[in-house]
Amino acid sequence: MAMAQAGSQELLDLWTKQMEEGSETWLRMLRQGLLTDPQAFWRAFMDQGAAAWSALLTQASPSPDLSGQWKPFLDQWLAAWSRVFEQAMGTEAFAQVMGKQLETFLNAGGPMQKAAEQQIETGLAGLGLPSRTQVIGLAQQIIGLEEKVDRLEDRLDAVLKQLKELAAARPAPA
Amino acid sequence: MSDEHDTTGARERPDLSAEMVARIAEETRRNLLRLKHLNEMVLDPADPEVGLTPREEIYRKNKARLWRYQSARTRRTPLLFVPNLGISRPYIFDLMPRASFIEYMTGQGFDFYLLDWGVFGPEDNGFTFEDAVTKILPRMARKALESSGAEEMSVLGYCMGAPLSACFVTTHLDFPLKNYIDMAGPIDFAHVGMFGRWLDARYFDVDRFVDTLGSIPADMVKLGFKLLKPTMDLSTNANLWWNLWNREYVAGFRALNKWANEYLPFPGEFFRQWVKEFYQQNKLVKGELVMGGRPVKLSNITCPVLAVGAREDNIAPPACVKALVELVGGRDKEYVELPGGHISLIAGRGAAAHCWPKVASWLAARS
Repeated sequence: MAMAQAGSQELLDLWTKQMEEGSETWLRMLRQGLLTDPQAFWRAFMDQGAAAWSALLTQASPSPDLSGQWKPFLDQWLAAWSRVFEQAMGTEAFAQVMGKQLETFLNAGGPMQKAAEQQIETGLAGLGLPSRTQVIGLAQQIIGLEEKVDRLEDRLDAVLKQLKELAAARPAPA
Repeated sequence: MSDEHDTTGARERPDLSAEMVARIAEETRRNLLRLKHLNEMVLDPADPEVGLTPREEIYRKNKARLWRYQSARTRRTPLLFVPNLGISRPYIFDLMPRASFIEYMTGQGFDFYLLDWGVFGPEDNGFTFEDAVTKILPRMARKALESSGAEEMSVLGYCMGAPLSACFVTTHLDFPLKNYIDMAGPIDFAHVGMFGRWLDARYFDVDRFVDTLGSIPADMVKLGFKLLKPTMDLSTNANLWWNLWNREYVAGFRALNKWANEYLPFPGEFFRQWVKEFYQQNKLVKGELVMGGRPVKLSNITCPVLAVGAREDNIAPPACVKALVELVGGRDKEYVELPGGHISLIAGRGAAAHCWPKVASWLAARS
């Protein structure tokens, strides 16, 4: 049992060290702007990970307690990945890339969305059904009406409050 | 007797001790239970029941609802809970029996009111942060006060609900505020972490975003939150498999999973103001915010204040939350940092052990 645990710990320690070294290298390259092609990076990262994995499996001691080894190994692996992602995604470079991706999405998505909406409106008009714009307009009118009722309610409350204050201030009849 | 003639198999083999045999037997039993429960989950994907603490609707305005929860009401001062607008459903605070912040607080005798902002549609795209603060919150707070019959009220803002409620109480000084609690609510957006970086005005054109999309779709909101922790789904599923033999775990998982995949859209103009004035310009902490023509000054909060930060929160990191106690005007103010993340601070086993008792005891002493 102790041997199995020692074997697992050895594996985990080696793996964690590999992940930390790999992520440091990656971040250094990202900061230096050496990685303009994210796909090229990920391919190298996965290749390094696979090489490290096979080296570890040949080095580590075997154990029959597979599931007991598997879970903490997976937890550590996920925690290491999580740290790597956190560090990478917290960089200015990533924010810049994400901003550019969103811009691309809006450039393509905006006109497509408008075209789709136009087609739907035309289709609905052809079928004699109310359009999306009309339904939204109706909902907005209802919201507007509710606002007006609220304002009336507020005025009524204010008037009632004043009447109560007046009644309270009036001296009691002798 | 020599080893060669031992036919009973009772002799212990050095590589398969009795303990190891027992472990393998237990693991086999668990694997069978895992398959059984997985089968049940697949064949019976019924929606789990959530939000079961009894309540009644006190008031509604547009999509928003004010709920009052059943309670012995032994504490004199009622509590108004203001959660985040959009993003996710508020039943996370009342997920399941014995796993519910609301059930806990009502069990402690608090007269508990929840403001459920509701699900906004395209007709609400013109709804702004300012509208939430000046039109909905004051009315809901007043209705809660009237319904309770109390003279004062405590307010608890969770996540975005904290800046929302803080803006309300600082611009409506006639509201009889007894105590104020900020739970994982971002105040100083200079320390807001990854979201702050991604929403930086240099990289994120919020005007173009809102003008193109109208409202921010729920899928986009979901993507943003999933990106904060890309390995979350993997670890969730790994943990699910590992604990799938445990029926109680499975029930809890199904409820939490339902919530975790139910995102809500943002009204466009609300998102625009939220990103510009809070994330990009950090106006709240600088004292430059104006709501309904009134300046938002956190120093106007002079009642007792409790700010609760979560140690592993990557949405409202501790430094972002702690700023509140440095800016409020009262003397009775406390910042406490508890273990957990943004959600696990208020929902889960850790919350029941740390956050709920702390909040309840702090409030009870001042109610």
